[in-house]
Amino acid sequence: MMLAVFVAMFCALVLAYLGRRRLSVVVLLVCFVLAVKLFLWEIYSPEYGFRMPWIQTELSPAHNPSVDRRV
Amino acid sequence: MSNLLNSPGMLKTAVWLNYVFLFVMMLVIAGILTAALVLQYGYGELPCPLCLLQRLSMFGVCFGIIQSFRTGFSYQNTGLSLLFATLLLVIAARQTLLDIYPRPGHEYIGSAVLGIHMPVWSVIITLCILTAFALKLTVLGDSKQLTESKASDLPVMGGIANVLGLYVMALCLVNTVSVLLQCGLNECHTFGYQLLQ
Repeated sequence: MMLAVFVAMFCALVLAYLGRRRLSVVVLLVCFVLAVKLFLWEIYSPEYGFRMPWIQTELSPAHNPSVDRRV
Repeated sequence: MSNLLNSPGMLKTAVWLNYVFLFVMMLVIAGILTAALVLQYGYGELPCPLCLLQRLSMFGVCFGIIQSFRTGFSYQNTGLSLLFATLLLVIAARQTLLDIYPRPGHEYIGSAVLGIHMPVWSVIITLCILTAFALKLTVLGDSKQLTESKASDLPVMGGIANVLGLYVMALCLVNTVSVLLQCGLNECHTFGYQLLQ
């Protein structure tokens, strides 16, 4: 997949250099879609999904009134 | 500003400034991509998948610039460059957040430059690219003749930019071959070059 993305980018650059404007933009947009898909695939974890649980984003009980402190 | 830029004396200056801006931006990005290859082959620092996607985004920014030098300036080319600059920012920010809390298997890849690691540098570089485009559009965006200008109006700079464009294409080719060696047709890992093992 990574190879396909780079091959598409190289083709887009060559076509742009040769002055094939419209075709090069189409190839570049294909490359963009492939890159976004690959990026989402790389960051997706079967365990966490797209979340980043190693970053603490919850308020501690002392600062969160919704947490029942008697428990 | 608009009237000033559209006065006859300033039109040539605006066109010249526009192409100087594009040339300098491509030169800086080519330098960054060269440094990445030097770190990879000179110091043995294999790029991670997100690092490779960040390199790809930089080539995407260069695409819009090469188009402007080859077929004339257009705001569509600026849009394409900005599209890939945005992709670069998203990938770099996600990678920075991925390794922001050191834990087994997750620490910043590669050596630090001035105490800052690659993904954080990537965020800084993207912010510089976006700021530069914003400043250029603020200063030159009203000049009506920019879209009618061609790089061939500036033969010396146009010629040097075409050579630089070829260099960027060569960098992209080296990266493509490098990806083939490192990843083959499978997913990428930073353990080594799959096809050389």
